[in-house]
Amino acid sequence: MLENISNLVAAFLTLSIFSFLWKDNPFYRFAEHLLVGVSMGYAIPLVYKNVFIPFLYTPIFLQRQYALIFPAILGTFFIFRFNRKLAWLSRYPIVFSMGIIGMGVPLSMHASVLVQMRSAMLPIMDINSFIIFIGTITILLYFFFSKSHEGVYGKFTKIGIWYMMIGFGASFGYTVMARLSLLIGRIQFLVHDFLKLI
Amino acid sequence: MNFFEKLQALDRRWIYLLVALAITIPLVVVFDSKTYTTTPTENIYQLIDSYAGRDDRAIMIDFLHDASTMSELFPMEVAILRHAFQRKVKVFTICFLETAAPLVDYAINTVKEEFPDIQSGVDYINIGYKPGALYLPIVLGMGDDISEAVKTDAEGRQLANLPMMEKIKNYNEMNLVIETSGSGFGASWFVYARPRFGVNVAAGITAVMAADAYPYIQTGQLVGILAGLKGAAEYEKLVDLFAIHDKPFSREIARTTHVSITDDTVPYKFKAARIGMNAQTVVHILIILFIVIGNIGYFIERRRNKELN
Repeated sequence: MLENISNLVAAFLTLSIFSFLWKDNPFYRFAEHLLVGVSMGYAIPLVYKNVFIPFLYTPIFLQRQYALIFPAILGTFFIFRFNRKLAWLSRYPIVFSMGIIGMGVPLSMHASVLVQMRSAMLPIMDINSFIIFIGTITILLYFFFSKSHEGVYGKFTKIGIWYMMIGFGASFGYTVMARLSLLIGRIQFLVHDFLKLI
Repeated sequence: MNFFEKLQALDRRWIYLLVALAITIPLVVVFDSKTYTTTPTENIYQLIDSYAGRDDRAIMIDFLHDASTMSELFPMEVAILRHAFQRKVKVFTICFLETAAPLVDYAINTVKEEFPDIQSGVDYINIGYKPGALYLPIVLGMGDDISEAVKTDAEGRQLANLPMMEKIKNYNEMNLVIETSGSGFGASWFVYARPRFGVNVAAGITAVMAADAYPYIQTGQLVGILAGLKGAAEYEKLVDLFAIHDKPFSREIARTTHVSITDDTVPYKFKAARIGMNAQTVVHILIILFIVIGNIGYFIERRRNKELN
């Protein structure tokens, strides 16, 4: 019974969102606003239970770790973003967040640049590595803007353009597939869970 | 106005209707189509399967998405959990997004219905939601001691007291992390945990991100990926073909054997991705037709305009 009711609500909201394909309407706007409200309403008590209580309330008030009062006050500075005169205070907690991002820079360099470069410098043993070699060289030449793309050099950069076009095509194909998968998921819900046609 | 001119001026809502029909009909009238498995999917399957029946090995699934990308990612999470529960592979689940927490429970409960003997704390541990701000300390901390880094599971129990933790301490034992994500592809795990602790990282991702993830497979930073609904369908097939019958994995058999999805012995939830791929196939053919007809119309109109000028 409960499952049927929840399926009915979900089906109504799904169709309300789909109705935008016809034109903008109050059902679509209602479903859209409800989604934002429910997400926030769900997140607030969860964060309160899983973050505020174990990482702030319990250590400070029950375990008497008073040093945590300082980061807690620093965290509340985020609220000042809404006040034009005191907005500068909100930059201080951001500074600490940026510090954590800075910590990841060397490791990110390793994973996303150095390891990738190393694998591009292997001996050309087969046709795949040859294709990758040509692609890497020609695309790098394309992005070298200090020389005009003319003559033999222009021909190389044109190969680079072809490589990029194939890459963009693959990405676009995957994007179409991803978007259709979302639609398939919703229609699967409608025909299987809600209408029970299969 | 000729046929192609009419097509150029066609109301887009007719296209929507055709796409909706091309998706709905194959979902209602289920037919058998071949699912070809690929190396990135097979690699993940093989690695998980190598931990079968071992108390000193475990995998972790990091749910990094909300309900918006569930259509693609949920079937792969269900397929991986089904594989793990069937082959007695220990599983940790975790999420750093508050909206992912109910999806973790939903995925576990969906699979557990078919495995009544599977017990929380013994066969799997749902660590549950941990704040995003603790992402880095947890990822790095688990390299030393998992029960120290996360302390409690979703039910508030101390991890150190749970039976599953007896032979599992850190990444030496929990040697595979699979991030199912709509926004990244395991990057944080292979950036922070892999170089330092040698943990294997795999990713279950939405199709839109697949092209970006492939270079990381080439360099070995990802052991494999499940790319969108297709990846989920491949994994579902492998589980049906090998895990459910407790058979060892064989790449040759995986690539040459066909598994029927019209057979009612497999519950719908365990073949949802493969049925979805039927619809995907039909709608892709329709889109290719649209592109071809659209281009023919464009070139005919361009030639006519040239002739008129």
